Order: sequence, then C-alpha cells, then structure tokens
Amino acid sequence: MAEARQYGDLATQLVLESRRSIANDLLLKYNGELVRSILREQRELDKLADSPDVTPAMLIYQTAILRNKRCLLAYHKHRLDRLRDMYWAVGGALPHLLSNPDIRSKLSPHEVDFLREYSASVMDYRAGFSNELDITASITQPPKDLHVLVRVARDCGVIQTELGSIDFQKGQRFMVRRADIEHLIVQGYLEQVY
Amino acid sequence: MDDDDDFFTNLDSGNDHFQNRLRNAPHDDDDVPMPAALPLFEEGEGETPLQQLIRHWMNERHAPDVLPFAEDVLSGLLDHIRRQSETVQLLRSDPSSSEEEHFRTMLAQTEVERVKFVVRSYLRTRLFKIEKFARYIMTNPEVQQRLSENEVDHARRFAKLTDQHFYVSVLQGLPDNQQTLDDKTPFLPPMIAEPDKSHAVFVHARQRCPPVRLLDGSTLTMQKGHVSLTPYSVVEQLVMRGEVELV
Repeated sequence: MAEARQYGDLATQLVLESRRSIANDLLLKYNGELVRSILREQRELDKLADSPDVTPAMLIYQTAILRNKRCLLAYHKHRLDRLRDMYWAVGGALPHLLSNPDIRSKLSPHEVDFLREYSASVMDYRAGFSNELDITASITQPPKDLHVLVRVARDCGVIQTELGSIDFQKGQRFMVRRADIEHLIVQGYLEQVY
Repeated sequence: MDDDDDFFTNLDSGNDHFQNRLRNAPHDDDDVPMPAALPLFEEGEGETPLQQLIRHWMNERHAPDVLPFAEDVLSGLLDHIRRQSETVQLLRSDPSSSEEEHFRTMLAQTEVERVKFVVRSYLRTRLFKIEKFARYIMTNPEVQQRLSENEVDHARRFAKLTDQHFYVSVLQGLPDNQQTLDDKTPFLPPMIAEPDKSHAVFVHARQRCPPVRLLDGSTLTMQKGHVSLTPYSVVEQLVMRGEVELV
C-alpha cells in the first residue's frame, strides 16, 4: 500500500459515518466497499496474530482485531436502529418505505431482508390487539379531535371510512375521522389543514 | 334562549354522565367483574382502570428495565374499549337517537381515542425496551416472566433476526474464531446490552414504604407523598410492588 495506514483506520472511517448519520439525522448509503476492506484487514490480521512466535506485536494485532469487529458491529447496529425508526415513523407501512427509490438505494440487500422479517414480526405482535386498536399508529401527539380537515396531496384511491368509502383525489378537501385516515397522513397522501 | 340554556345543561350532564361511566367503568358492566385482588400489585382504592394504566405507563416510560406487564388492567380496558365502540356504532346507526345522544357518542369516541393513545404508547414503550434488550431477555428466564406471551415471541424473533443480520453482513466474512456475538473482553463493554439499573429516577411514594437501603449503606423510609431521586436499583422492588410510582 502506497500511503502509510494503520490498522483500525478503516474502522474509524466506518464509525465516523455512523456519527455523521446521527449528526445529520440522515440515513447514509450502505458502505459495502469499506465493510469489505475491513473484513479483508481482519483476515490479514488474523494470519499475523496466528504466527507461532510470540512477539509484542501480537498484542497490537489482537487489539486491532477486537476493535475492528466491534466497529463493524456497531456500524450495522446503528443502521438497524435507524431503519427501525424509519419503519415506525411511517406507521409500519413497509411497501411505502421500500418503494421509495431514494431509500431503497441506500440499503444493502441484507437490510431489506431484515426490514421484511422485522415487519412480519411486528405484524404478528400487532395481530394480538387487532380487535381494539392499531399499535402502529402515531404516538407523538395525543388526539385532541375526533375529526380532522385534510387536503389530498396525492391520489390514493377509494378508502373505507366509517361513513362509507371516499374516493380521495388530488386537491380535494375532506373532513374525516382521524383514526380512519391517520396512516395516509403519515405516508404523505393527505395533509392536515389547520 | 331557553333552548340554548337547555342545550348547555344537557351538554354538561352528558359530559358528566360519560365521565362517570368511565370512572365507574368496571362497576356498571355487571357481566365483567374486575379481578378482585391482583396478587402482585395492590391497586389503590378508588383508582379507575384508566388511572392504573396511566400509572403503569408512566412507570414504564421512566424505568430503565422492562416492568411486569399490566395484563389484567390492559385486558379490562381493551374489553371496555371494544364494548364502548360497539355501543357507539349501535347508537350511530340508530336513526331514532337524538341530537344530544349524538353529541354524547362523539365525546365517548374522543375519549376512546385518547385511551387508545395511552394503550398504544404503553405497548410501544415496552416494545422499544424489549427490542433494545432482546438478547438479554432471551438469556434470562426471570425477565421473560415479566413479558406477555406475545412480547416474548417478538423478543425471540427480534434477537434471532439481529443475530442473523450480523452474521450475514459481518461475521461470516471473519475468520472462524471471531464469529461469536458474546465476547466478554476485559476493559471492553459487554456485547449484550443490559438495562442500566443505576439510572436515576424520581420516585413518588403512594403509601408508607418499608425502608430501602441506599447505595452508601444508609436506609431511607419514605412516607406517603414523599418524592425522591434515587438510582433505579434502590427502588426496583417498591416499583414492582406498586408502592411507589415513577414520575
């Protein structure tokens, strides 16, 4: 390698990405390349640490191995946490999340799998309460009114409400029961008018 | 003018009526007796199920650890929500119901929505902690006792799911001897997240409490109404027994 590089530098870069993601409150693109180079470094280190003669350098290798591993796991864990936050923020509407090309391009294939299975697990859990309430609905603002005035921001077809079905078409306004359409507000189909 | 006065009196009484119904919820439904005495919690006299739930909800939101699931309170309330919604549906579809009844059903519906909000928030708070400590919970049967069946299932699936994700994304690329997920390396934090019981909490004594031992060895006896700031581990037992609430 041309430039001087220490073991562990790559892992530091990876953790810095997580920090940037926290600071900007953004999901960054999955950095598969960096992850792979760290995995390569790990294997290199493992060979070095495995040599039969015991030298003081072993301690350095061992420390680097442990640190790299933790950094890798921390990076992935942080991403999973973010993905879960995003999942709950749209009220558990996974197709809505995955059909967004911008988000989709930032995920690794494994993360898409994770989201699918996570969603399945949450839906199983939710089914236990389906008679009474929908646990994926918003929990940030306690409801003040039963009905809300909404403006349709995007066509979303015919939706069943307590007063029959309504065909929501762009530009129209409706006074509807909050519980019926809350998920549509969360997903950006409707906008609340104050 | 008379009409107007009437309207507001009715409104008032309607409002009152509903609140009273909510307050006396378990008593006016003869077919569903409230569980007489809960073994673990001594629920306060005259506390409605909703107030109980709100207390459990507050405790849950402030405690660093997952608390026992308030199953009886919750299932009672959920039943009540369902019956209330059915009644509302019935009244709405009945063309002979009066204007005043319509108004009342609207209040009832609003209240139902608000109760649902608390229930939702309570369950989601638990879910958040369960996911955070999923691997700890799965290795610890004592903690699993505090969860509902549904929650244990979710914790199990979630722990498996994250392990799997770590394996396919990271661990399978590492040499064999590095593939464990429970390293206990000296000087490094453990890999399984555990609740931090030294987390500081505000407690409010609901009754006179037996003395608790503080970390420095001295003891503290809280009278009713006493508010104190202590590490969670000190008051953990009192919270579980319902003698104090977290605020």
